[in-house]
Amino acid sequence: MGAGLSVRGLEKRFGEVIALDGLDLDVAPGSIVGFLGSNGAGKTTSMRGVMGMVSLDGGTIEWDGAPITHEERKRIGYMPQERGMYPRMKVGEHVAYFGRLAGLDKATAAARAEAWIERVGLSDRMDDAIQDLSTGNQQRVQLSMAMVHEPDLFLLDEPFAGLDPMAVEVLIEVMQSQLDRGASVVFSSHQLGVVQDLTDTVTVIARGRTVASGTVSELRAASPKRLMRVEWADDTAWNPPEGVRTDGGQQRWAEFEFPATADAAALITAASAAGPVLSLSYDPPGLDDVFIDLVTP
Amino acid sequence: MIWEVAKREILTRGRTRAFRIITAILLVLAIAAPIAVRLWPDDGPDTREVTVGVDDDFESEAGLEQLEASADLVGESFSREIDFDFVASSVALEERLADGEIDVGIENVGGEGEGPGRLVFEKDRDQLVEFALGAVLTQRRQIQEAAELGLTDEELGRLLGAGPTESRLLEPVDPDEEEGEAVQIVLAIVGLLSAFLLPQIFGQLTMMGVVEEKSTRVVEVLLAQVRPRTLLAGKLLGTCLLAMVQLGIVVAGLAAAVAVTTSISVPVSAWRFIPIMAVALVGGLIGYTTLFALLGSLISRQEDASQVMLPVFLPLMGGYIVGQTAIAGTADSLLARVLTYIPLTSPMLLPVRVARDAIEPWEIALSLGLMLIGTWLLFRLTVRVYELTILHTGSRIKLKDLRARMANS
Repeated sequence: MGAGLSVRGLEKRFGEVIALDGLDLDVAPGSIVGFLGSNGAGKTTSMRGVMGMVSLDGGTIEWDGAPITHEERKRIGYMPQERGMYPRMKVGEHVAYFGRLAGLDKATAAARAEAWIERVGLSDRMDDAIQDLSTGNQQRVQLSMAMVHEPDLFLLDEPFAGLDPMAVEVLIEVMQSQLDRGASVVFSSHQLGVVQDLTDTVTVIARGRTVASGTVSELRAASPKRLMRVEWADDTAWNPPEGVRTDGGQQRWAEFEFPATADAAALITAASAAGPVLSLSYDPPGLDDVFIDLVTP
Repeated sequence: MIWEVAKREILTRGRTRAFRIITAILLVLAIAAPIAVRLWPDDGPDTREVTVGVDDDFESEAGLEQLEASADLVGESFSREIDFDFVASSVALEERLADGEIDVGIENVGGEGEGPGRLVFEKDRDQLVEFALGAVLTQRRQIQEAAELGLTDEELGRLLGAGPTESRLLEPVDPDEEEGEAVQIVLAIVGLLSAFLLPQIFGQLTMMGVVEEKSTRVVEVLLAQVRPRTLLAGKLLGTCLLAMVQLGIVVAGLAAAVAVTTSISVPVSAWRFIPIMAVALVGGLIGYTTLFALLGSLISRQEDASQVMLPVFLPLMGGYIVGQTAIAGTADSLLARVLTYIPLTSPMLLPVRVARDAIEPWEIALSLGLMLIGTWLLFRLTVRVYELTILHTGSRIKLKDLRARMANS
């Protein structure tokens, strides 16, 4: 493994529409990166740009410290958002075919195809046509196609979309196994809980531009907001400051948001003065809130 | 990589039931045609039976045998099988004629057994019968006259057996050459039909393949491993090879059936013609499948295909119609000559004009050269369009949008 993938200042316009506006993305070897953005933010275009499928107006893409080439792109396992397969091809032939396209010899492609199909739980469907599989099973085949040549980097565009819980487990297990052998993974998803659980770092983009990048903890810590939740033993005569939400009826708890720069100790003191405190938490916002704050214009 | 893509095209398209059925039908037809021609009874022209009623005053039984012998010879020349039947009198002859029992009568005029005889028809004269029986009766009279003149049988034989008048040709046609030209014209028809039909069938197959990859979105996964130009080249190669395989199977079946059932020898000139036809056919196939692929890249739904196909059929139909005219009539008309040099029509005109021996060697070279250059330029353009449109989905890309994409890329 070398220096991984480094994307700098990607630019792309489609007529009047600016799809990418100086996007940056770094993927260290052996890391798993969550690639987040609202719909239309430029995730798919930037992934296609990395794969060389769209001609870019500007920016650089480096792999192991040098501009990426077509041959090096074959070391990437790509799973697009729009799943695509030949409907009438058999499952085994389909996966082996993509292995051959990735440069594997015939015997290796066939053996790897069989192994991956078994791994995603479809060994009994090897000779079935793709069109005879359910959507979920087709996605398992799609995963096998991305994995068959055992690439160094995976670009997965919305890999969890439409998967049932069992398929999600399979995908997570497969991703983990690839990380264990030293590969890197970049995946986009709107399921922020999964992103928070799986990723080493997260890159958030909005309007074609990278707006934040780092570990989930770093992103949360960098938020300009903090959340506090206080629960009292009895009803209190708490007079909440502006922006504080309480349960209204019994006034036994309060949850409030304030700037990270505010005097937290003074707030805690004020809350304690209102009555005996059962519990108190003081946290930066979760990834969901951080994401919304980052992408909202 | 190109070969991997081509191989998939060949295997998946070649394994379809439609391809196998069409190939099997064409093969059966190719084998059956020469066999049918061989087995078909060849009676020559339809032979009509004619019954002639002979007034027994006109001829004796011995004389009738002589008449029958003469009538057999003459009647064969006129496709008439002539039988004679004695009739008791002129009145009976007319009655049987009216009843349709006989087709024509010979009544006696003059002395018994010596008169020249007269033909009697009911309403219409069968001119061939009239001519044939006239010849028979004339010969009968000649024999009678010769006997009256006292000629011996030997003298009579010399008189009647004089051979036909000799003739000579200023430019005699070599029978082999004549047969060769016929074979070439047959080959030209086969070549024209192949150059007209194969690009349509396999071009549309290519187009559907391009559209299918877009509509199923598999193209995005493919592009992760394969460059667009490689993908396109592989598709074209696979489709063209599949077409050649199908054509090869059919031609092999036809050749085997012809070899077994007939004794046609392929003339040397045909062996010169066949390679030119093969090159033109392959060139046309590549050109048209490329054009179909270009048009397929402008759409992403099968149902939009009919909207973009018109530009293909204009040169196809034009080339085919002028090619037919060149086979049947003038092969070196100005139109035929011009279309011989245009890459998309030359695959149809070139074999025809070569077959008709109405083309100069430099024209063949120019036509093939332009076909090569034109196909290469078309391929370059198709690659360019394909790269710019391959990920497009939704409605058809209009020419204006395409120009904008090309300008912005």
